[in-house]
Formats: sequence, C-alpha cells, structure tokens
Amino acid sequence: MSAIKLKANRRWRAWVNRRIPREDQRHLDRRSIFILPTGAGVVFGVLLVVMLLTGINYQNSLIYLLTFLLGALFVAAMHQTHNNLSGLDIAMLKPGEGFAGEPIAFHVRLQADHDATAIDLLNDNGPGASLSVPGGTLVDGAIEVPSRERGYLLPDRVRVETRFPFGLLVAWSWLQPATPAIVYPRPITPPQAPEGSDDGENAEADQRSQGQDQVELRPWREGDLSARVDWKRYSRNGEMVVADWQGELGSPRWLDFEGFPGTDHELRLSYLAALVQERSQAGEVWGLRLPGLTIEPDQGDQHRKQCLRALATWRQTPPQGEGDR
Amino acid sequence: MSTRAPMLPSGALLWLLCGFLVLLLPQWDRLPLWLLAACLLLAGWRWAVQQGRVRLPGRWLRLGVMGTLIAGYVATVSGHFSVDTAASFFVLAVGLKWLETRTRRDFFVLFFILVYLAAVNFLFQQGIGWTLVTLAGIVLLLVALQMLHTPGASHSPAKGLRRLGSMMLKTLPVVLALFIFFPRMAPLWSVPLVSGEARTGLSDAMTPGDISNLAQSSERAFRVTFGGAMPAHRDRYWRALILDRFDGTTWSQWQDEPPSRLGRVDLDAGIGDLADNQYDVLMEASGERWVYALDNSRAVSGNVSPVPGNLFRLERPADTSVRYRMALEPATEDPRSLTPSERRRYLQLPEQGNERSRRLARELSTATNSDMELAQSILTRFRQQAYFYTLRPPTMPDDPVDALLFDTKRGFCAHYASATTFLLRSAGIPSRIVAGYQGGSTGADDAYLIVRQYDAHAWVEAWIADQGWVRLDPTAAISPDRIESGLRDAVAEEGSFLEDDWTSPQRYGDVAVVQWFSLQMDRINYNWQRWVVGYQGQSQMDLMSRLPGNIGLKELGYITASLVGLALLVAGVITALRHSGGRSADPVALLVERWVRALRQQGVTVPAGVTPEQLARITADQAPPAGRLAQAFARDLNNHYYGSSSRRSRTDNRQEALGLRVMRRRLSAIRRALREHPKPSSSRNRP
Repeated sequence: MSAIKLKANRRWRAWVNRRIPREDQRHLDRRSIFILPTGAGVVFGVLLVVMLLTGINYQNSLIYLLTFLLGALFVAAMHQTHNNLSGLDIAMLKPGEGFAGEPIAFHVRLQADHDATAIDLLNDNGPGASLSVPGGTLVDGAIEVPSRERGYLLPDRVRVETRFPFGLLVAWSWLQPATPAIVYPRPITPPQAPEGSDDGENAEADQRSQGQDQVELRPWREGDLSARVDWKRYSRNGEMVVADWQGELGSPRWLDFEGFPGTDHELRLSYLAALVQERSQAGEVWGLRLPGLTIEPDQGDQHRKQCLRALATWRQTPPQGEGDR
Repeated sequence: MSTRAPMLPSGALLWLLCGFLVLLLPQWDRLPLWLLAACLLLAGWRWAVQQGRVRLPGRWLRLGVMGTLIAGYVATVSGHFSVDTAASFFVLAVGLKWLETRTRRDFFVLFFILVYLAAVNFLFQQGIGWTLVTLAGIVLLLVALQMLHTPGASHSPAKGLRRLGSMMLKTLPVVLALFIFFPRMAPLWSVPLVSGEARTGLSDAMTPGDISNLAQSSERAFRVTFGGAMPAHRDRYWRALILDRFDGTTWSQWQDEPPSRLGRVDLDAGIGDLADNQYDVLMEASGERWVYALDNSRAVSGNVSPVPGNLFRLERPADTSVRYRMALEPATEDPRSLTPSERRRYLQLPEQGNERSRRLARELSTATNSDMELAQSILTRFRQQAYFYTLRPPTMPDDPVDALLFDTKRGFCAHYASATTFLLRSAGIPSRIVAGYQGGSTGADDAYLIVRQYDAHAWVEAWIADQGWVRLDPTAAISPDRIESGLRDAVAEEGSFLEDDWTSPQRYGDVAVVQWFSLQMDRINYNWQRWVVGYQGQSQMDLMSRLPGNIGLKELGYITASLVGLALLVAGVITALRHSGGRSADPVALLVERWVRALRQQGVTVPAGVTPEQLARITADQAPPAGRLAQAFARDLNNHYYGSSSRRSRTDNRQEALGLRVMRRRLSAIRRALREHPKPSSSRNRP
C-alpha cells in the first residue's frame, strides 16, 4: 500500500518538476498554477447542498436563488483566485548567508501586470511572507529557510499561494530556486585558545617557542596594507616594518585547519568559523588555510565573508541546479 | 487558557457583526424578545473584546451563559418542536458562537452558520423588502470574508464591495438562468414549519365582542387577480369558515378541523392565463387550512379541495404564502334537502338564555307566513329601528343577544350575525354564521384586489326550502356603507378606523401621496410574490410549456447541467483570452520571446530580463555564423524601443510595418542558424 503511495508521490513530484523548472525566475501562467478548494471551500460546498435541499423541501424559491447566487460566486471566486496568481513574475534575488542553525533569508521580488493581493510565499518548514503587489510595481519579500548544516542551501520548493478573495479556494504554484544560499559552519569556540596570541611582548619569543612560524620582516613598501605594519616596532624605533608571515601552524595570524589535530573535520570548521568571527570583531588581521585552499591574511568584512564562505563550501559541491535541464 | 483574541482583524469582525445584526432583522417579530436582546448583548460583548475593553469569557463563565440561555430557550419552547423553534435555537447558537470566536476557523464557522441563517430567514419572510435586507446581510458577510483574506492596507471595504459587485454582476445571467431552469422537484420530506403560533387573522371561534381587534389590523390577508371583471364591492363575500355551534356566548365549528397530515407545502397556483371566470388568490401565511372563496366557486388548482358547506381547504396549514386558483360557476340551485342530522345541527341552541330574543322570534314567526318573509322581517327590524354599527361596542357579558337586540343596540358584524342566527334558529329556520372577509380595496391601477384583516366580516346563511342556503347580511341592513365601500366609510363619523395603528399607511388613506406610495409598494411586492417567490413546480412547467419543445423535469435537468457547463466554459475561455491577449499586445515583444524560446530549445539558459545585446552575445556563442545577424537584430530592437526614430516611426505605420518585417526575417534566419549549429550548452554555461 505504502509502496504504491510512494510511487504515486514520486510520479506526482516528477510531473510537477517537469512543469516547474528549477529557475530563479518564473512567470506564473495557466500551465503551472494549481487550484483546489480549501477545507473551508469544501464545507461551503456542503453548505450549498444543504441549502439546496432546504429549498427543495420547503419549495422556497428564494433559497434556490440564494444558493445559486452563492454557487455562482464560488465559481467566480475560482477565477478571481486563479487570476490573482496568474501573470505574476517572481524572481529570486541573491540569497542571504548565515550560520548553520539560523534561518537564511531568500529574497524574492514580485511583479505583476495587475493587482495581486495577498500572495503567500511558503517554505515547507519555516515562516513565509505575505505580500500584496499593486499592478506594475515591484515588491520585495523574503522567505526564511531554516538551515541545519554548513554548505549550500537550496529549498526544495517554495510554494507561492493565494487564498484571495474569500479563502474558499487556494491557488498555488511552486518555485524551485536555482541559486543556493551559503550556510557557514556553526561557530563553536574552541576549548583552548588557539596556540599563540599576539599580545605577547615580542613576536619572536612566541615564534621560538612554537618553532614553526617564520616571520619575515621587511621594510614597508607602497601597496602594503597598513594593518600589516608592525606598529609596535614603529613606536619603539620609528622603523616602518611589514611583517610578512610565512608562519605555518598555530600562527596567531593564521587560522589553520591543521591547528586542531585529532578533531573531527566539521568541528574544526566550526572552530575556525568562531575564530574568524572573533578576529573580525577584534579588528585583527588573519589568514585562513584549508587543505587545498589558502586565503591571504587581510581584514575587514569582505575578507571575513570570503573566509566564512570558504569554510562553508569546503569540499562541498553546489547542488544540481542549473545543470538539471 | 487564553482569553485574548488578537488574531482577527477588527474590520472583518465588525462587518461580520453587522451582517449578523442585519440578518436578525427579518426575524424580529418571530423571536422572543429576550432572545433578541441576548443576541445583541453577546455580539456587543465580542466587539468590546475586540476593542480591548473586556476579555472573552473563560470556560466556566461561557458554560454558565450557555446553560442559562439554553434553559431560557427550553422554557420558552416547552416541548414543541418545529422548524420555527429550531430556527430560534439556531439564532441562539449563532449568538453564543460569538463568545468563542478567536481564530480564523471560528470566523469561518460563524460565516457558514450566518449564511444558513439567511436561508432560514427566507423560510419566514419572503416579501421583497425582507429579501433585500437578507441579501444585504449576505453582502456584508462576503465583504467581511474578503477583509479577512486581504492583509494590511488593501483591505478597504469599498474595494471589497466593488469586487463583490462586479463578481455578482458577471454571474447574474447564470444565476437567473439557473433560477428559471433548475428543475423544481417535489419535496423529499417535510417538517412542519410553524407550530401553533398566534397570527392575526380569522379564528375558528367567534365570541361577539372579541373580533374587533381584527378590525384594527391593516395586515394583508390575501390578494386576488381576476381573469375577467372584478365583482362589485357588495358582491365580494369571501367565505372561509362556517360557525354553526353556539354555547350561549361563543360560536364555533360543529366539527373540529380534521387533523392535518404532514404533507408538502403546496404553493402551486394554476396553470396558464386566467380565464374570464377565474381568479387567482395569493394568500398570506395564516397557519390555517382554510382558504377564501367567493360564492359559487370551483377549485381549479390542485392545492385546494372542496369540503362540505361549499368551503375549500388546503392540504396542510398555510405556513408560507399560498397561491391558488378558483373559477366562478353559474349559481346552481341546491336540489337536495337537509338531512335530519344537518337540520338538528343548524337549529342547535343552548337550552336557556336570551329569553327575550326567543320570545321575539316566536312573535316574528307568528307574524309572517314563510321562512323567507321571517328572515326579511329581522333585517327590516335592524334597518328601521335605531341600531348602530360601531367598532366600540359596549361589553355584553350576559345574554349577549338580548343585550344587543334590546338594550345597547350597538355592535358590529359579529354581534348582528350572532343575533340574526339566534333569532332564525329560535324561529325554527336552519341557519349558520359564515366568517370570512367582505370587500377589499383595489391595488395600483385597479389591477388586483387587496383584502386586509379589517375587511374581516361575519354574516348569516339561512336554509330556505326550494332555494337552499340564502345569504343574509344584517350588517348591510344597519350600515350599507360597510358593504358598499368598506369599513373606512362605515366608521368615518366615529373615527375609530385603525385608531390604534399609527404606522399603517392605510390609516392615512386620505393622503394621496401616502396612498399612492403604499399601493406602488404593494404592487411590486405582489408581483414579486407571484412571479419570483411563487415560481415553483406548476409555474415552472407553465413557463416551460410556452417554450418550443416538450420540456419536462428531466429536460430541465439537462438544460441546467449544460448551462453550468457552458458558463464554466465561457468563463474559462474569457480568462484564457485575456491572459494571452495581454502578452501578445506588442508584436516586437513577441519576437523577443520567440528568440529566447529558440535559444532555450537549444538548451541555453537565458536569464530573464536580459538585454538584446546579451542575447546577441549568447546567440553568437551558440552559433557563431548567426552572430552578426543577432547583433543587427539587437540593434533593431534597441532602435525600436529606445531609438530617436521611435516616436516618428510610431506615427508612420508603414515604416513600422516595414521594420517589423525586416526584424521577422532576421529572426527566422537566427533561428535557422541556431538549429543548424546545435552545441552542448553545459560547457558555456559557467563563465
């Protein structure tokens, strides 16, 4: 029994997927809009039957009239509900980013040639948005998709539906976004502070104790980031010296995947994410080193995002979106 | 337990509340006062909750309120069960539901039961005015529902009303067609509509002195349309009941009405146009089985049947308005004589009482030679002596006949009919009182007759050998005006006409404007009742028989089904056309669409909203030979939309057509090139 159900379900999905391509952009039309009465609509239908029976039994013309009037309105509402959705253009804008566990916002832009009222954007498991789009204007909204783990996040389907005007019928279509959002690893502060810290009085001492990092100091030249200037030294003797890190593991300025030996890979990424956040908040300079990927030390929000994205997508392949067709 | 109700938008709730109040209006005279008050209170409570002034009751308080009101209801109903009492309970349930309306789901439940309440209203009120009120209630409900489903700024009631209006207008033809063609089936089962409810109207017992309250009511009893000429006022005696048993104070029917069996509410009028001798009566709901007919009438429509005494009865009490048709026949002599039992029955009198009257009867009997002469002598006595017709008679508790004849000499039809019958019976002439209506006023343009409760009348029939039952009307002898032109003129001097009924338009019959207006309203209502409310089985068949083809119930079913199908089809086609029309308005945009489609067919992903240049580049990637063509085409497009010549060329249709033709040619070349150079798309998809 359940096997049949499963099969039917799969066929239905396949059929829907054929009709609704995975695209960031959709124009809703007759082909892709589905419409059914809601629960209330079914009750309304039953009510109409009961009213018709009452009219027949008491031979009451006015009850007949009322029944026909409401029945015709129900059919008219069907067209109204369908038209409300039909002709709507939906575009997924650049999806948002965030840490695993947080809801990720997918931004949507709606446009219609007519007034489209009370359009609900729903995601299977998360709050949606309800938007009204006056004819000829652009309206932006966002759907929040809960994220569980790092990587690419692509909601399977976003349901675009409307119950306007009476709530007796629901018309809907699906949007299958093609561009995934990027989910950073959930930041977890490592149990021990990463080896080394840069508030030691001299970097050399640290360096010696690690025995692994080599910092090459060279005179400042044009183009060097001011953040790389060793300001402590400058305050001591007025020398503008730039620290050129080549240090490997455990460098205070390098966040390294290998810095947490023996730890699970995902957990390491989470530690690194936490450290990136920490460094970024402290306004420090850091670089990131992952197997197969190195991001040169830098600072700033752009850099932070770059690092987090690298952590998020490390050894992840983008979901089969556009290649589908 | 949460007792706050923040979920529902106030606007929607307010409109729903208004809908409820409007739907209560048609029931105001049927429901007990306390129930109406409770409903208002409960609705007000809910609104105060919405305003944040009070809270919704908790479970115990709610149960308490519910218990109290239901107990009150049970006490009022006291065991009767009918649709009437069920409808009252329904209203009570709606009222109570307000106290637990928190969520959208509750809102829907209320909406549904209120819609059904509208249908219940139609069971009891079918006049055009109440119909409009009920429909207004439905409109309020539907606007409320729309406001529930439109968020924020766009839920203005005006918009909802406009939308609803346009929907109703568009569906109106279908609704009307359905109304006309939907087969009117016989009822499937039946429940009595109204249980013994006090209604204004004739009663089957008459105590002289009681009846005057009818004379103070201007409610309509029935309306009549005549196929031929309308009989004169003095000939319009509408017989309904025979009262032949007297216990000294009250006249009643010898036999009680046979118990009415449950049957269908038969509204069917006759079929086809009225013949010259026919008349069509539309009777208001009376809750009784008797109907009104002129002398020498024969039933034409099947819903009335004759009973002894030349009267007619309905199959079951008229708890809604009923239409029936009668035909006037030439007077036939009643050839047979009374059976001994009938004779005994029409001579019955109490053993004692009213001795003076009995003596008078004996005197008259010796003074005259025939029964007819004796009867005439009674009328002569009324005519010649100082008897008065008045709506304010003194009370006559003991020996009422004696008191009237010899002491007060004041009374109205019931008194004089009672006295006349008493005298006739005392003199040994079989006689009986007939109760019904007499006269009636004409409606607008004299097209039909309106008979009101104040036209109620009682007169006498006496059995005269060789003639049968002869009508004797003592009131005609005392107050000819009453019979010739009606009660208003009969009591004009007294000024007692509708003296208690300040709101009745009939009271102001001498004000021309009021009279005109009231008659026009009545005409609208009469036609509404006859043609819309009364559009049932026979009337439908009648209408259908005038159409070509032999249309029966089954054919009507087919017609209805195909009507629904056709309407759905037309609506679907219109929707489809409108949508495709909207997109193909611009021929150039159509070309671009075709271009994009051609690319997509080759498996290229084309992002929406690309510029023509981007399209050209994609095309060049895909099929290099088409590159230059595509660039030219893109240039054409840009020129068309943004070029300096666009304004000029728009005025010059020929040039635009030429440009369009060039673009078409280029496009088909591009498509050909694309088809000839298929190239896997995946390699160029990612930059």
